[in-house]
Parts: sequence; C-alpha cells; structure tokens
Amino acid sequence: MNWISGPFSKYWRNVHFVSVALIIIVLIYNNQTVNGFVADATARVFHAPFALVKGAVEELVEVSEENERLLQRLTEAELHIWSLEEDRQENVRLRTMLGFDPPPGYSLLPVRIVSVIGEDVPYSALINKGANDSIFIDQTVINEDGLIGRVMAVTPEYATVKLLTDPTNRVAARVADSRDMGIARTTLSEGMLLDNLPVQGTIEAGDLIVSSGLGGVYPSGLKVGTVESVQRYEEKPFCEVRLVAAVDFYSLDELFVLKPEAP
Amino acid sequence: MRTVPYILYLLMIGLHVVVLREITSVYSVSVNLAALTVLAVALYKSELTAMWLGVMVGLVMAAGDPSHLGWYALMYGMLGLLGYHVRERLNLDSLYAKLLLVIGGVLLVNIVSLTVVGMEDFLSRLFTVAAAGALYTTFVGWVFFLFKEGIITLKKIKSIF
Repeated sequence: MNWISGPFSKYWRNVHFVSVALIIIVLIYNNQTVNGFVADATARVFHAPFALVKGAVEELVEVSEENERLLQRLTEAELHIWSLEEDRQENVRLRTMLGFDPPPGYSLLPVRIVSVIGEDVPYSALINKGANDSIFIDQTVINEDGLIGRVMAVTPEYATVKLLTDPTNRVAARVADSRDMGIARTTLSEGMLLDNLPVQGTIEAGDLIVSSGLGGVYPSGLKVGTVESVQRYEEKPFCEVRLVAAVDFYSLDELFVLKPEAP
Repeated sequence: MRTVPYILYLLMIGLHVVVLREITSVYSVSVNLAALTVLAVALYKSELTAMWLGVMVGLVMAAGDPSHLGWYALMYGMLGLLGYHVRERLNLDSLYAKLLLVIGGVLLVNIVSLTVVGMEDFLSRLFTVAAAGALYTTFVGWVFFLFKEGIITLKKIKSIF
C-alpha cells in the first residue's frame, strides 16, 4: 500500500479524518438510497445470519413444545378411545346376557368382580355384593359361559368366590349326552380333569360336561367344560379325561349369583 | 489478516444485538457491548483503528434504523477518538481509571442515543436505561479487564477447583 500512502504519508491521518467525515456527512444528510444500501448490506452481513439461527432455534423450541402438547393430547385421546372400547365391549357382553336364562328355581343376581386372587392361576375372586344383598356361603356363581364356582366367605358388602380353578373345588359332573358321571377338578399342572369316569363309559373328545347336581352343592345342568382328550388304559378302571373349561377364568367381568327362588 | 479480529468484533456485536441482548438484559437494562468494544480497542490500539472501528460499529448498530445511520457512525467514531485521546493524555494504567473511562463513555453514548432516537420520558430513561446500562456495561468491562490485565487467568480459576 506504500505506493498509495507514500505521497500522502505526511497527511495520512488527515486523509482518514476527511474520509470518515465525508462518509458521515453523506449518511447524515439522509440520502435514502445510500443509507438504504449501507443498512441493507450491514444487516445482511452482521445481523441476518444470527437472526436466521435464532429463528431456527425458536422454531425448533416451538415445534418441540407443540410436539409435547400433541403427544399429551394423543395420549388423552387414546385413553378416551380405550375407555369407549371398554364400554362397547361391556355393552356387547350385557346385551348377550339379556337373553341368558337361569336354571329352573333360581333367579340371577348380577355382581361385578372387585379383585381376583391368584399369582399364576386365579383361584378366588372378590365380588361387590355381600350379606346385605342376601348372599350366603355355598351359593353358586355363574356367567353366560358356564359355572364359575361358589361363595366361600361373606361380609356385609362383599363376598369371596372360590373358582373352579381352585384345586380344592370339585364339581360332581356328567357327560351331557351319555349321562356318565364323574368328578371335575382342576390341577395346576394338568388343567381341568374329569375323574372317576369308568373306562367303559361313552365319552369322546368334544363332548359337553355339565354339573350333575349330586352332592347338593351346584345345581344340575350348568356347563363345566368340553372334553379335550380321552386316554383309556386296560390296566386302569377309569379314563383320563382332560377338559377345556367353559369359562375363561383369566377374563372374568360380570357374573351372576344364583338366588334360590322361594317355593 | 489484521482486519480479521475487527470483523470478528463486529460479528460479535451483531450476535449481541440479535440474540444475546434479550438474554443478558435485566429488567430491560442491557449491556452496551458496542461502546465497550470501541473503548476497549481505543485503550489498546491506535487512534485511527479506534475511529474506524467506531464508525463501523455505528453502522452495525444502526442497521435496523437507516435514518440514523450517520449519527450512530458519528457517535461511535467520536467515542473511539475520545477513548484514545483520554488514554494518551491521562496515561491510564490503573484498572479503575480504565473503568472510569468506560462508565463515562458508555453513559455519554447512552445519553446521546436517547437524544438521537428521541424517546419520551427522557429524564426517567436517563436513570433507568442510560445510567443503569452504563453501570451494567462497566461491570462487564471490569470482568474483561481483569482477564486482559492478567489479574484473573484460567490457570488461577482452575487452581481453585
């Protein structure tokens, strides 16, 4: 730059002052074209990049907040949909039960499950009615699919039902078609079995098993299950009959307690 | 290459105007980083450097207000010159003398800004904006000078922990 500053070296400082003064005078006297150009150029170089980044970050924050709001609304909507679906299914079940007839001599008292007890397999259930609703011990509990169990304990507001899945709960049963008798019970390892059925009895897979009414605990004619398999051994007097329970004990909802009608 | 640091100073001022001013302001009192930068350069560099930097800083500060472009360029240019000449004549070695220059210079710039922009409630804004801003800026300047003068270093800070 010496070939420029050389001749002016003595007055270099003054040259700078004059230059600055000229620039300021031009800018102050409000030449809109020049001012606009300078302001625009300065803003593009020194302001715009940061404004762009700031805008992007703000938009990101806004989008993130909106995402969170929408996620919350989505969760609320999903819960609402799930609740409506539950109501719909309950509606379907209750409509099915409207046409459900009790055994002769009994009326139905609808109850709801409060809680189910059992770690792997449910073996008892707490229902929402008790002595105040005329429930007593050994009353039979059913649903539209079949026999559930019997009442084993009662309090004023609640009752405990011993389910058929409890290994100590046995049902005097018979084959619906052939009338052959047996005892239905549930084991933890083998599931529901029908014991004491003679090897010469008429039974095969698919046969319906109902309560026989013997023993006076359960009324007769209540569905217990269907035969899954029959094993006959010549050296044994009884068949080994495996049953599929009529009731799904893992999804109990609305139940009925059989109330004996007054004679 | 010699102009690169000054371009970085101008970018830093642009960043402060667009992004950091809102974040660092306390009850609408903000740091006048532009004035502090010009004064800092005036204290350590030459007369012409301070003047030209002042003019460019004025243009950056007034980019959003083209009608006052010239006045801002004049104000910050004069600030640079003033800072340099006060340093030269008074031979400022003490940190507190530098801070006195900063607070005086920033206060002057703030007052002139209020005059140029023509804000209402001049008197109340003189105290709430101009004076408070000058104090805030001086505090930031103090921290800067502590590092610049080597009174505080990163090594000393690390040694505390």
